[in-house]
Amino acid sequence: MVRQVQSMKPRKSQVKDQKAYNARGYEKRQSLKAKKAAGGRKNTDVYEYQPEKERRSKVKLLLEKDEMLGARGHDSEDEDDDEDGGRGKGRKGKGKPRMLGEDEDDMEIGEDEDEEIDSDGAFDESDEERFAGFSFASQKKKPIAKANKPFKTPATRGVRFEVDLNEDEEEDVSVDQTDDAFDEEDRQEDSDEEEEEEEGEPDEFVDVLDILDGRGEPMSEDERESSAKPSQSFAEEDRDAEDDVLEGPSRRDDTDEDQDEDEDEDSEEELEERAVAISASEDEEEDEISKIDSLQTFITSLDAGQKRKLPEDDGAHSTLEARPPKRRLLQERTETGVENEFATHFGATKLNLDDLLTPLASTSSANLDSLKKSAKVLASTSSKHKTLSAPLPTRTQERLDREAAYEQTKEEVDKWNATMKRIKEAEHLSFPLQAPTAENTSSLQLAAKFKPTTELESAVDKLMKAANLRGEADIAQTETLKMNHLTVEEVAARRAELAKTRELMFRAEAKAKRVAKIKSKTYRRLKKKEKAKLADKLGEDVDVDELDEDGRLKMEVERARERATLKHKNTGKWAKAMQHRGELDADQRRDIAEMLDRGEKLRRRIRGEGSGSESEDDDEDSEEDEETIKARAFDELAALRRDDDGADPEASKSKSVFEMKFMKDAMARDRQRANQIADDFVKEMGGRIPHEDDDEEGDDAPDSAEPHGAQIERVGGRVTYRPGALPHLTDWIAFVPIFPSDTSSVTLKSTDFPGDPTSPVSLISSDRPLPTPVDDEAPANPWLVPRGGDAAAAPTKQRKHEVAVGKHSATAEKSKNKLRKKKQSLEEERARAKEDAEVAISMADVLTLPSGSGSASHAGPSSTAPPAKGKKSAKAKSKAPEAVQDDSDDSSDDSDANSELEEQEKVVDSKLKGKSRAVKAFEQRDIVARAFAGDNVVQQFAEAKRLEMQEDAPKEVDTTLPGWGSWGGAGLKKSAPKPQFVKKVAGVDPKTRADYNKAHVIISEKRDKKAAKYMVKDLPFPYTSKAQFERNMDTPLGTEWNTRVGFQRGTLPRVVTKPGTIISPLEKLL
Amino acid sequence: MERIFAKPFIGALEGHVDAVECMARQPGTLDMVASGSWDGGLIVHNIIKKSQQMRIDVAHKGKITGITFADSNRLLSCGVDRNVKLWDFRDVDENGAGPSEPRKPLSVFPGKTAFNSIDHHRSDPLFATASNIVQVWDETKSAPISNLTFPTSSETISAVRFNLSESSVLASIGSDRTFTLYDIRTGKAERRVIMQMRSNSLSWSPTFPTSVLLASEDHNLYTFDIRSLTHPTQIYKAHVSAVMSCDWSPTGTHFVSGGWDRTVRIWKEGQGTAPEVYHTKRMQRVMSTLFTADARFVLSGSDDGNLRIWKAKAHEKLGIIDSRERAALEYRERLKEKWKMDAQVSKVSRSRHIPKPVHKAAQLKTTMLEAHRVKEERRRKHTRAGENKPKAERKKVVITEQT
Repeated sequence: MVRQVQSMKPRKSQVKDQKAYNARGYEKRQSLKAKKAAGGRKNTDVYEYQPEKERRSKVKLLLEKDEMLGARGHDSEDEDDDEDGGRGKGRKGKGKPRMLGEDEDDMEIGEDEDEEIDSDGAFDESDEERFAGFSFASQKKKPIAKANKPFKTPATRGVRFEVDLNEDEEEDVSVDQTDDAFDEEDRQEDSDEEEEEEEGEPDEFVDVLDILDGRGEPMSEDERESSAKPSQSFAEEDRDAEDDVLEGPSRRDDTDEDQDEDEDEDSEEELEERAVAISASEDEEEDEISKIDSLQTFITSLDAGQKRKLPEDDGAHSTLEARPPKRRLLQERTETGVENEFATHFGATKLNLDDLLTPLASTSSANLDSLKKSAKVLASTSSKHKTLSAPLPTRTQERLDREAAYEQTKEEVDKWNATMKRIKEAEHLSFPLQAPTAENTSSLQLAAKFKPTTELESAVDKLMKAANLRGEADIAQTETLKMNHLTVEEVAARRAELAKTRELMFRAEAKAKRVAKIKSKTYRRLKKKEKAKLADKLGEDVDVDELDEDGRLKMEVERARERATLKHKNTGKWAKAMQHRGELDADQRRDIAEMLDRGEKLRRRIRGEGSGSESEDDDEDSEEDEETIKARAFDELAALRRDDDGADPEASKSKSVFEMKFMKDAMARDRQRANQIADDFVKEMGGRIPHEDDDEEGDDAPDSAEPHGAQIERVGGRVTYRPGALPHLTDWIAFVPIFPSDTSSVTLKSTDFPGDPTSPVSLISSDRPLPTPVDDEAPANPWLVPRGGDAAAAPTKQRKHEVAVGKHSATAEKSKNKLRKKKQSLEEERARAKEDAEVAISMADVLTLPSGSGSASHAGPSSTAPPAKGKKSAKAKSKAPEAVQDDSDDSSDDSDANSELEEQEKVVDSKLKGKSRAVKAFEQRDIVARAFAGDNVVQQFAEAKRLEMQEDAPKEVDTTLPGWGSWGGAGLKKSAPKPQFVKKVAGVDPKTRADYNKAHVIISEKRDKKAAKYMVKDLPFPYTSKAQFERNMDTPLGTEWNTRVGFQRGTLPRVVTKPGTIISPLEKLL
Repeated sequence: MERIFAKPFIGALEGHVDAVECMARQPGTLDMVASGSWDGGLIVHNIIKKSQQMRIDVAHKGKITGITFADSNRLLSCGVDRNVKLWDFRDVDENGAGPSEPRKPLSVFPGKTAFNSIDHHRSDPLFATASNIVQVWDETKSAPISNLTFPTSSETISAVRFNLSESSVLASIGSDRTFTLYDIRTGKAERRVIMQMRSNSLSWSPTFPTSVLLASEDHNLYTFDIRSLTHPTQIYKAHVSAVMSCDWSPTGTHFVSGGWDRTVRIWKEGQGTAPEVYHTKRMQRVMSTLFTADARFVLSGSDDGNLRIWKAKAHEKLGIIDSRERAALEYRERLKEKWKMDAQVSKVSRSRHIPKPVHKAAQLKTTMLEAHRVKEERRRKHTRAGENKPKAERKKVVITEQT
């Protein structure tokens, strides 16, 4: 009912159109009637549709409105429909006239036909409207389908019609709905569904409709069908007369049914009308008569024989139940059917678009084509649309809305998720989190804002304004003015100039620094002279400067004097200290004396030369002066050297600090360096190098005389190699005795090792292998002698010495040398033998290889000692080629000589060796055993463990105090201890110990009670493993164990707030 | 040591004749706090100076139920006299005592029923009131611009609050044990949760926009994530009587609650037990609590008509702390944290002196709860296996969630 009320508006608007239309339509129909005596129903339809087409456009709009309005009252409508549907159609059918009567407009009753048509037309377009479909479905129980088969236009249906119906009668609506349903069925071509429709169960209908909508067929099919229809329809009608169902599940069935229904419902008048309409259609014209006849017969038979047909139908169709109600309904319908001519709603067949177009066909084919095309699209689109579902009850709807809204809000709020996660997981939070965006105000901003407030400010401002400096524009202007004068080149030039001056300044500075470092007096003097000369040249205007310089010079002299006097008088620190010490021993006194002496000497020298030089400096400016200066310098040097040499012997006598070895070495080094500097200086100055060494030792002569080859020095404990003068032989000889007495033995030992890098090949300048004296002399204990250092260093030295001999001395000398060496080695051997005798066990080296050093480079290490003889010969053989290989310069005879010598040596060696071999009996193991004698570690450990276990084991302690609680005296039996005095100590059973069956460890079972207080039972919460926890606890926090930054980081609280800072809640930053 | 010498109480602001029912802090300031009492008195305190910025003895007839600051110089108050009044608290006499003649409200928004709560939108000139429905008002209009209600509700809404970050989201609590969520954009009540007991107060977290805190009648506080309202994210248990009020710290890491048990408790977010407890002999039921904007102080308004200022951290030193001292403090704090698993350290940090009645009540409560638990256990033991499963504590809270 609600629906009716709502649909009032559109109806009224339609009414006028309909009226006009009706008038026209009626006219036409009448004329058609006249033409054809008996018209097929189809024709009537066609006729009816023709005018409707014109109306459609108008209808459409109204429908739209209806849609809008309809949405709301839908539920109620549904309910109504449902109710109606639930009951028999008969009721409705009966009710129909009453309702019609109730309706205000008579016209509308008259319009019924039109309305139907309208509705058919309109439906087509408004398929999508859920309203229509829905309501229809629910009301389908009134299967008042019309038999207008040719018009299978399910696509073209109007809601508007519905609306009208609503106004008029519910039944009309129902009719329409059934029509609709049938149309759809037609499309579907399923008999089952038809039946369902007929059953009139609202739910099912809805379903069917939905399905149908979804399956809506395109126009093409409709067209095809429509073309086929006319012919079919006749046959169908015939069949209808017999039975609808028999025809099979084709479209025809549907149409048949429709027909049946229509017939049932429609009165004769209507049929006539249809017949008229049919006659209008060209196709059917021929058959019309026969058709109508059959129809009429059928109709007559229908009333009586419907019930008979129904079972047949059922039999044919799958759903048996469907038919009977339908049939019944149809009957009822027919009874209640409006007898009015205009009540053509019964004839509301499926209106096809083609039906609407057919009348146009006659007018213009081109137009029609275009129309068809457009209509095709329309039809196809409309068929695709689904009917909307019914609006839910408000409560449900609102709940859904709320849910949706909640989802929305959730979504919105979820945007904070990342932020919240970050905050939650942050190690450190400093509030406020969102710092207010600090505006960094530029000076420009400030300047723009500035307004002078005080007097001073205003005064300044005024001045600025006057000077055109207030404001950016002014400043820019002045700047541009200034810059205008300069071209680009000029600017570049300026810059280049600046850079150049800077560079120059830097260089000058660097040079000055370098010059300032030069300490040579002579250089200074020369410089001074040059400067003076320059000044002279430049003119006399530099007088003042010169005076200044003179003054400076004087001052310098003064200072130097002072220094000299101070240094070598008793005024020095050391001297004073010495004085204060009071009584001095002889050495100290001598030192002091020496110092004073030296001071005196110096002073004398300075005085003598200083006065002279000063006078010279002042007076002489000539060239010769330089010469003299140089000469004097050389003299000085010479004197100094002499001095030093002279002083040395003196010093050597004393036992002062200077007399100690390292001091001596240091002094020697200093001296040497000084000498060198002096030499360099002399060379530089182009003077003759005084050979003061000449008169001294003869060894020094070659040193200075031959400045070629590698110069190797050894002043202290270290040997230095320098390019330059060849080392003097004597030097080497001199330090040979410095070696410890056992050097040779060490050497031997090292050479004994196979593949020792000290073999001649590795030597820098060696030409011949070292004649190895004896190899049986092993170190006293292989574990005690450090093999690395000495072994490497000592032989090289020796060999170097040898090399020197080999290269530069005559063979005679060489032999002499050899002999001497031999002697030496023999002596050493003897000494060693003595030692051996002293030591109880001679430690024969098991590891040493008797093949010796000579074969080291060639022969691999041999495990067994070959006989001495063989070894000797092998060595002799091997030595010669080796020598040849090594030294290409050396003559063959030289090497021969050497080898001979070596052979001699070997002979001596072997003699000695025989002795030592005999003694070797001990093995390394024994040595080790001796070394660790008395170390019973394992036993001790086991014992300790046993004790520990015993201590921890449970035991009983008798605490009985003797003499208490018992009788004393002689002859008493010793009674067993009373149980109360036996104290049981619950220890740890040895078998339950942690170290039980673990021989190598002792695990203490004692528990530290004090520490236990601080132990945790379980792992505290945030930690996931014991290790993690322990690590954290082990890590100290304080400043003592951490860097400053580490401490700060470690102790920084998680949340930091600044007092007095407003923390505002998080804000969306857009 | 600091436990011994902690002095959390700073001072009390007097002025109200009756119980302080509601308090509000002016956003963006540290000092302005308004309080309304049962007798209709409205005072705006300057808590830094401990003076009164504005004082109206009878702002409303009957009690003032809600106060909120509208902007920098106006505030809104609502009362049981069915009016919302807009006040200007700015102009003050030279003596600071306020005008001699009673102030007039700038405007009055009449309602149909008594208002229970009011809250102002964070940025827009909107405010929401709670009566039997939630109404959203525009400051410039005398009638509400929208009514928000859950369709089937016949409750009395006791409090309404705007979300601070997501400022269109509203939440309210009602006398029928509900918590309802609204959104003024959709104009709908979106979801409703019915709980075991009614809530007395609610507060949105300032740093976690999805988190809302409810102070419940069942002695507990609950935080809910509004995205899943089926169960609370955390239960905070320590009060021994109904919790009357709660407020988040601006940091969102702590919150304060005041209860019928005459204590103020300061909780750590996510830590459901052992809060800091403040109490004095004279402080009665705490009806309203508030955190200051710098998260350093806590205000409590109680039944005795006083506003009390407390330190948020009991042993915090007021005044300037130089860097070395700060470093030392931080170091000590860190050490305490490091060794908190140690029995003795934790004992010291846990132990609180609380008033005897509260202590007794707590004891009694534990006993009762234990009894409940035991009974439940036994009941379960005597039913068929698997039939009666224990329910998680968190799941017990919410009875139903309505859409």
